[in-house]
Amino acid sequence: MLSIYYGDMPEAIYNPAIYFKNTYTDDWITDELSKAMIQDVDKSVVLGPRVIDSPVLGGISPRELSGGVKTLIAIYKVPDRIFNASACGDNCAKWIIKIGALQDITINLRHLMDFGEGEFTARILNTDQIVHTMGELVPIAGMIVR
Amino acid sequence: MKGSYRVIVSNSNVRYDFVIRRNITIIRGDSATGKTTLIEMIGEFYETGADSGINLRCDRPCRTLGGKDWKPLLSLLHETIIFIDEGNAFLHSTEFAEAVRDSDNYYVLVTREGLPNLPYSVEEIYGIRYSGKYAGLKQVFNEFYHIYGRFDDRGSVHLARILVEDSNSGFEFFEGLSAGKDYNVVSAGGKSNIFARAWQYADSGVLIIADGAAFGSEMDRITKLLQQKPNIILYLPESFEWLILKSGVVKAEGLNDILDAPENYIESSRYFSWERFFTAFLVEATLGSHLKYSKKRLNPVYLHENTASKIVAVMDGLMDFMQ
Repeated sequence: MLSIYYGDMPEAIYNPAIYFKNTYTDDWITDELSKAMIQDVDKSVVLGPRVIDSPVLGGISPRELSGGVKTLIAIYKVPDRIFNASACGDNCAKWIIKIGALQDITINLRHLMDFGEGEFTARILNTDQIVHTMGELVPIAGMIVR
Repeated sequence: MKGSYRVIVSNSNVRYDFVIRRNITIIRGDSATGKTTLIEMIGEFYETGADSGINLRCDRPCRTLGGKDWKPLLSLLHETIIFIDEGNAFLHSTEFAEAVRDSDNYYVLVTREGLPNLPYSVEEIYGIRYSGKYAGLKQVFNEFYHIYGRFDDRGSVHLARILVEDSNSGFEFFEGLSAGKDYNVVSAGGKSNIFARAWQYADSGVLIIADGAAFGSEMDRITKLLQQKPNIILYLPESFEWLILKSGVVKAEGLNDILDAPENYIESSRYFSWERFFTAFLVEATLGSHLKYSKKRLNPVYLHENTASKIVAVMDGLMDFMQ
């Protein structure tokens, strides 16, 4: 299940891109879900564990993936750590929901990420409430973060 | 620093072309749009110049700033456009806000956080988007775009309430206008209270009026609220004082030129945000006249029918709601 803590959270990893750069392994990149996230968010194709084809930058290494995808993969592969998911744009939101449906994760958000118009399930740790739509989430999270 | 500055940064793969107009500019939006690439290119150009293979054109020096030693480094920079990437935790610190306040630099900050300590404008929050291949080459051309839409034209909303950010002159003006009307005017007592108050009133028609020049930190959550509540209209002039100056009620030398391009007249080290400049200008321009302006208490002359109607006329289509 996806759990979200809004606002300042000292135990969360504030810069997930740096954490990713120094901890990722080849199998993180070749994982099918990672490949799908890289394709969807970065519009890039994983050619192998150390080579990714980017439409803008050409052949790149995993270190040059976007901060959003690095954060998504870190959330997915290290579920016992809490990451600052405000490093992710709204185009990462559906993947956070998907990872949360696969396993228990906790993320830290410092802004009001848009989870879209569909239904999802998330526990707001600040208030211990469960929400299923943005309509339910906005009045709760909007009182905590800007 | 004052003025607007065009920045063109390019390498063989990508080209960015944008204009910076105020002391604080925010870049946010989707992942993988090239925000970090832009910052890295500016940093690499600073370190090795043209040898980097990067071309950067701007009438001011462009620098990047980051890491734990940001403060001593910042103290060395003047009249510079400073770019700071997300992941720098100092961005939301009071210490950084104080450094920006007294600074003669312009700042371009990549962040999705609100940064309530910094009074940035809703007009200077951008995303980056792909806008085609440059000149038919392989180079991808990226441009800035305003990331938040306007919410001041939402069709037929029956106005029950005006929620004003201000608790002084601005509030008194709109409260004065409401006499005999079927809506009432309430003060939010500051921009940080607007979200909660707007939510409280959201089931009836609400017009929010706030100072756009410093409302940037609230814009994300207010936008999310407005997406849920079609009864809320958001109107963000630069400030109440800007409305008065724009109305033509006050005559002052050079005023039209200033209103056309405020960035050419507002020194960033003196005015943390534009609404402070407009307040100071209005106070000075009306000193000793019957229009003498005070932010703390509204001079009743501004509520005289002829004067008030000129000010309200600046508010475009919102006049109809307030009749």
